[in-house]
Amino acid sequence: MSDVKVIDEIPTYQVTLFVRRFNQEDGLEARWEDFDVTVHGTDRVLDALHKIKWEQDGSLTFRRSCAHGVCGSDAMRINGRNRLACKTLIKDLDMTKPIYVEPIKGLTVEKDLVVDMNPFYEAYRAVKPFLIASDKPEKERIQSPEERERFEDTTKCILCAACTSSCPVFWTDGQYFGPAAIVNAHRFIFDSRDEGAEVRLDILNDKEGVWRCRTTFNCTEACPRGIEVTKAIAEVKQAILRGKP
Amino acid sequence: MVVIETPRSPRSRKAAKFERWGWLYMRISGMFLLVLIFGHLIINLVMNGGITQISFAFVAGKWADPFWKIWDGLMLWLALIHGTNGMRTIVNDYTERETLRKVLNYTLWVVCASLIILGTLVVTTFDPCVDSSVSHTLSVCK
Amino acid sequence: MPTKPAGTLYRGKTGMWSWVLHRITGVAIFFFLLVHTLDTALVRMSPADYDKVIATYKGAIIGFAELGLVAAILFHALNGIRVTLIDFWSKGTKYQRVMFWIVIALAVILFAGFAPRHIMNVIHDIELGY
Repeated sequence: MSDVKVIDEIPTYQVTLFVRRFNQEDGLEARWEDFDVTVHGTDRVLDALHKIKWEQDGSLTFRRSCAHGVCGSDAMRINGRNRLACKTLIKDLDMTKPIYVEPIKGLTVEKDLVVDMNPFYEAYRAVKPFLIASDKPEKERIQSPEERERFEDTTKCILCAACTSSCPVFWTDGQYFGPAAIVNAHRFIFDSRDEGAEVRLDILNDKEGVWRCRTTFNCTEACPRGIEVTKAIAEVKQAILRGKP
Repeated sequence: MVVIETPRSPRSRKAAKFERWGWLYMRISGMFLLVLIFGHLIINLVMNGGITQISFAFVAGKWADPFWKIWDGLMLWLALIHGTNGMRTIVNDYTERETLRKVLNYTLWVVCASLIILGTLVVTTFDPCVDSSVSHTLSVCK
Repeated sequence: MPTKPAGTLYRGKTGMWSWVLHRITGVAIFFFLLVHTLDTALVRMSPADYDKVIATYKGAIIGFAELGLVAAILFHALNGIRVTLIDFWSKGTKYQRVMFWIVIALAVILFAGFAPRHIMNVIHDIELGY
């Protein structure tokens, strides 16, 4: 008489995480520390990190805010590639091997998985990531769907730094503007309502600007929002060569 | 219009312009070099016995025709500047100390300029009969 | 104090490795170019010395090293076309990965055409007693 179906329990797995630990205050070199964690088939790397922090070692330090792939706080290097910990399902990784988690490259590590994001934000601010318009319209500024489509892709950026810290040129000296700043410049350069394109193109024509891009496509592959970063950079290069968007 | 201060100090326009032209030069010279070097390899290393044919007499024979002098001269200029600019990019990427960077880049351009001058002089002043012990078999020197 | 601790090697895909190879082959070709400009300059100064230097180019060691040089030039040239297409062709970024495999395939085919011929030439010259 019972029509209640027993739903299968969510399978659980034993996984090992190797986490890159670093603490300026203990004076030790950065090192790998391993943790065995029981995880569910629905768990993400972020859940495993939470379990470690809550149940095994409260000193483990990492950033996360929304935990749902929008705030861009928890970009880290998982099995050698930049990803968001909150968007990476553990069952999608090879669970028979340890999972390696380390901070993103090219920015100074402050503690464990936390890096100093200030140079990244500085490059972002340098491209003037805001609408520059001289008129003060009474109503909204009209834009056709085609004009909006022109920069649709680059509006999706959440400033997680996964792209910039995946770029081999950014790792070298950190002077390169980096993909994220160029993506956000692209978002305004190709916006029909904006009047600051020339200023931004001039900034990105800088010697640490777009010309340092070597099209390795690490950024495009790292972007958790699926932005075609290398394509956006290529479009900015073309715009600089033309002298207009 | 609201003017907001630039957060970064502006860099020299000269350097910025140079990067753009450097980037363009690599692509344009690359396409020319593709033809020049593949042609060079096919003539010198593949056809008619490949490397076995190469000797002073072979070079003298080629350079009797101004076409090959221009070919080789162009290859010299384009390839050396292309290579030096590529090395400069690598130096800029991997050197952290400013003085080291300047020294390396300066050295690169000095070497590049010297070899271009040397190579150009060799091609333009080439004399097939410079050494009779080697060139006595060449018909032009008889 | 290690503020930028080294971790694992970044696991980039074909795009990153093609860039690494492009750099390495570029540096190798550059140094050969320096030597090659100097040895060719001998044709103006001393034809006899030029022939001596060229004889070593035909020898076993450098003769086989030339295979590496030609392989490097093939990759650098073909990948250079790929990079230029990525920069200037609107669909270049979309097809970058397939273009990488085309570059590898073309380089292998051209090398396979060149290598046996060159090896035979080098061996032939060694047999002649150079």
